[in-house]
Amino acid sequence: MSAVLTVLMLLVGAYLVAVLEGWVSTGRLRPAGPITSGLALLGRESVVPRQPDRIFFEVAPPLLLVAALLAAAVLPLSPGLVVVDLATGALFVNAALAYVMVALVMAGWGPDGTYAMVGGFRFLGQLIAYSMLIVMPITAVAMRAESLFTTEVVESQAVLPNAVYQPVGFVIFFLAAMGVAFLPPLDLPTAPGELAGGVMAEYTGWRLAVMRLARAVLVVTLAAAISVFYLGGWLGPVLPPWAWSALKTLLVAAAMLLAGRYVPRLRETHVLEWGWKIGIPLALFNIFYVGVLLLVVE
Amino acid sequence: MIFGARQARPSFLRRLVARAQSREFSAFVVPGPEAVRVLGVDLDATGLQISGTPRHASVLLLVGELPLGLKKAAAVAYAQMPRPRAILAVGTGDVSPLPEPNVSAGLRQEDVAAGVAELRQLFAQSAFSPEVADFDVDAIRTQTEYVCSMHPEVVRSERGSCPICGMELVPREAAGGDGHGAMDHAGHATHHEDMDNGAQEHHDEDHGSRGDIDHGEAEHSTAAHSDGEEGRDDGHEAIEQGGHGQESASHGEHGHAGPGSTDHASADEGDANPDGPGDSEHGAHSEHEGQGQHAGMEHGEHEDHEHAEHGGHGHMDHGDMDFMSMVEMTRDLPRSSDGLQMEWVEDAPFGPLFPGLPGGLTLMLTLDGDTVARAEAEGIEGRPTAEDLAGPAEELIGRLARLDPLSPVAYRVLALRALESAAGVEPEERTALARVGALERERAASHLGWLSIFGHLLGYSWLEDRAGRLQISLVRAANADEITRLRVEAGRLSRRVEKTPLLRRKLKGVGLLPEGAEFLGPVARAGGVVTDVRADEEVYRTLGFEPVVRDGNDALSRLKVRLAEIEQSLDLVGKAGEMTGPEPATNMEPLHEGPATVETPRGVAILRLRLGEGAVNIVELDEPSARHLGLVGGLAEQRELADALVGVASLDLSPWGIAR
Repeated sequence: MSAVLTVLMLLVGAYLVAVLEGWVSTGRLRPAGPITSGLALLGRESVVPRQPDRIFFEVAPPLLLVAALLAAAVLPLSPGLVVVDLATGALFVNAALAYVMVALVMAGWGPDGTYAMVGGFRFLGQLIAYSMLIVMPITAVAMRAESLFTTEVVESQAVLPNAVYQPVGFVIFFLAAMGVAFLPPLDLPTAPGELAGGVMAEYTGWRLAVMRLARAVLVVTLAAAISVFYLGGWLGPVLPPWAWSALKTLLVAAAMLLAGRYVPRLRETHVLEWGWKIGIPLALFNIFYVGVLLLVVE
Repeated sequence: MIFGARQARPSFLRRLVARAQSREFSAFVVPGPEAVRVLGVDLDATGLQISGTPRHASVLLLVGELPLGLKKAAAVAYAQMPRPRAILAVGTGDVSPLPEPNVSAGLRQEDVAAGVAELRQLFAQSAFSPEVADFDVDAIRTQTEYVCSMHPEVVRSERGSCPICGMELVPREAAGGDGHGAMDHAGHATHHEDMDNGAQEHHDEDHGSRGDIDHGEAEHSTAAHSDGEEGRDDGHEAIEQGGHGQESASHGEHGHAGPGSTDHASADEGDANPDGPGDSEHGAHSEHEGQGQHAGMEHGEHEDHEHAEHGGHGHMDHGDMDFMSMVEMTRDLPRSSDGLQMEWVEDAPFGPLFPGLPGGLTLMLTLDGDTVARAEAEGIEGRPTAEDLAGPAEELIGRLARLDPLSPVAYRVLALRALESAAGVEPEERTALARVGALERERAASHLGWLSIFGHLLGYSWLEDRAGRLQISLVRAANADEITRLRVEAGRLSRRVEKTPLLRRKLKGVGLLPEGAEFLGPVARAGGVVTDVRADEEVYRTLGFEPVVRDGNDALSRLKVRLAEIEQSLDLVGKAGEMTGPEPATNMEPLHEGPATVETPRGVAILRLRLGEGAVNIVELDEPSARHLGLVGGLAEQRELADALVGVASLDLSPWGIAR
């Protein structure tokens, strides 16, 4: 039951994200946009480039979708509404998201084209920059909750959400999440102006539809993760818990989508340099800082 | 829509899909979105979204008269578009080798909007049709040829044995082209048969859209843009280079088409070819072939037995490969400057229809991973040369103005000045002022257009939209009030850009040019060199003109110079008070040789002409983009791909100003 509800919520979320994305990119709000564009894509040819690595080419879009769905499975919408409340839930999110990189590298390699291939390689580089930064802030979150259960992480924020309790971790996790979802300005693997679509350049028709859906679901999942880890998930007055989860998730998703519009894409060297030279020391500091807080306050 | 529709009998569901498709139009623009904005046409207002890749587009939008090179590139892009697809031509005459446009319209905003509306209707009605034809262009045609694995010079169109050593000839694929007719047909006929069968099969079964999708794949191999090489037409070259012999033969068997696979390809080749450096080239050139090799694909898709041989050889080679060590396999391959063996992609084309560069400009990049190892830029094939411009004096102005659609006014003024100086007359002050107004408006618009393309390349979508819209308003502006308003908006844009977070870090130090090289226009002024022919002109001096100069000599300072020049030019338009089209001075009677210079938006252009027997001969036409062309290599090489593209884009090369 909760699995069905979660998937439903995710799809609704992905739909709204698609509407938002259309709004951000074209300036027109078209509530029915995703339906027409989805139908249009399904009715177009789905071309297989010549001499593809067929398995990689075919597997990449569904794998991206699966990775996003898996990560969403451990994120609670309300106290009882979580697909599996794993004892290692907070870490499982990371484990599932690791497949995003696999999917994108496959999508880059599979179609046998320069733009896609460079896009895939770029994401591999991007992974090196963000992978530590998406794990380390979670450590500090788990320290406060004294648990890796995502439900307990949410409950630990009853007094004060983590975004306030550990703002450094929040910012790092937010940026790293944008890196995972390859959203601008961290859209190095798709880079419309540099690679004409990069890893997505060779997908057409229904395969492209799956790829775009997967991307939207991934954005929703990451936004939900941020809301669970840092914004107190379902906690909030008046509204029912699920509504709070949905609202926070959507707001975070909107922020993620909007941010990239006003800044240029980062240079790959900067992503790596800043990730390791600034991000990791800050993440370590965050762990230390939360540790001190916990020792002093308790 | 015989070339554009999907083969299917219309049903309720398909009609529904067709209607959805008619609302979701995204267009791939040839030569590029900037060519539309220059005309003051706002595509956004017509509901057409712009797509950066033909793969994601359903409409091929042709804008203005296209030289042959662009038409060929457009044909390849069209072949790459998944069906249903359509062609909308605005202001374009003959479009061959493309099929007839589905809808033709004029170049004005309302014409384009009407064209789009008509196209929507057409789409809703005939996106799915039982009758379709395959679209095929020479540039992406494939043939199979047979070569001896020991003697690369032996190339036959039929199976057989080598006349020198008697070994059995091995098949390989080669892109077709003119002049390879006979061979072409041999390989090609079979191919068409396959394709028809494939299509027929699916048609007969007539199961839902999935069936069509499959047939689509098969047919679409025509397009197979293995690396998004929009419109490389390299038939000849591919064949020539393919002639490197054995390794390319083994290559053909594998049929690795694209650069993506270059490394497996080269790995295979490593054992076949001890001579080395050739193979990576094959990796690359087969990528050109890749555009067209349907044959190989066909067998992949349809398990066609006629082509089984390819597969067989492929496996054999792989068998050999298992015994190779990595060190041996990569031994003779080219090395990066740091000595690491990376994915080496030779001559990957970025252009002529690449979204981050002005349409028509081709960058051939040899990529070493994502580092550019070698870069070369090319202009548009079939663009008129100085000789083509010779002719009657009265037509010269129009001919020159059509030379570069990105800055027609500057070229028009150039022609006028040359004719006037040949006739020994000076324009009246009023005329001179009007010319300043027209030139400066064009300069501001051109810089805004550059800013929009640059914004797209940088992934800075706010800048792309804003600059693009300002450019359109400026081109359309009819009176001084509007110019004043736009001047305020340009000032805001400029301040906003200067304050953009991360932009400095992104551009600083990128696109550094060597000291002492020869630059012109904004590129020179961004390197601290005061060079601007406007400073020597009387009329500009009376307006209080001072050239904008910045230090830095990198992409950042070029951006700053152009931002400042947009404001300066709009001020000058205001001061000049007029911006009507440049009119010729009266009583022109060309007598002797006439030199003239104009500071175009990209730098100084020089024209010298001579009158001979009633006609004008162009003695010299010196254009800034052509002079900057040589800088591309130094800017891009040993740079990360994004930095290389930013560096090249910061030069603001006009592909129309480069003779080829």
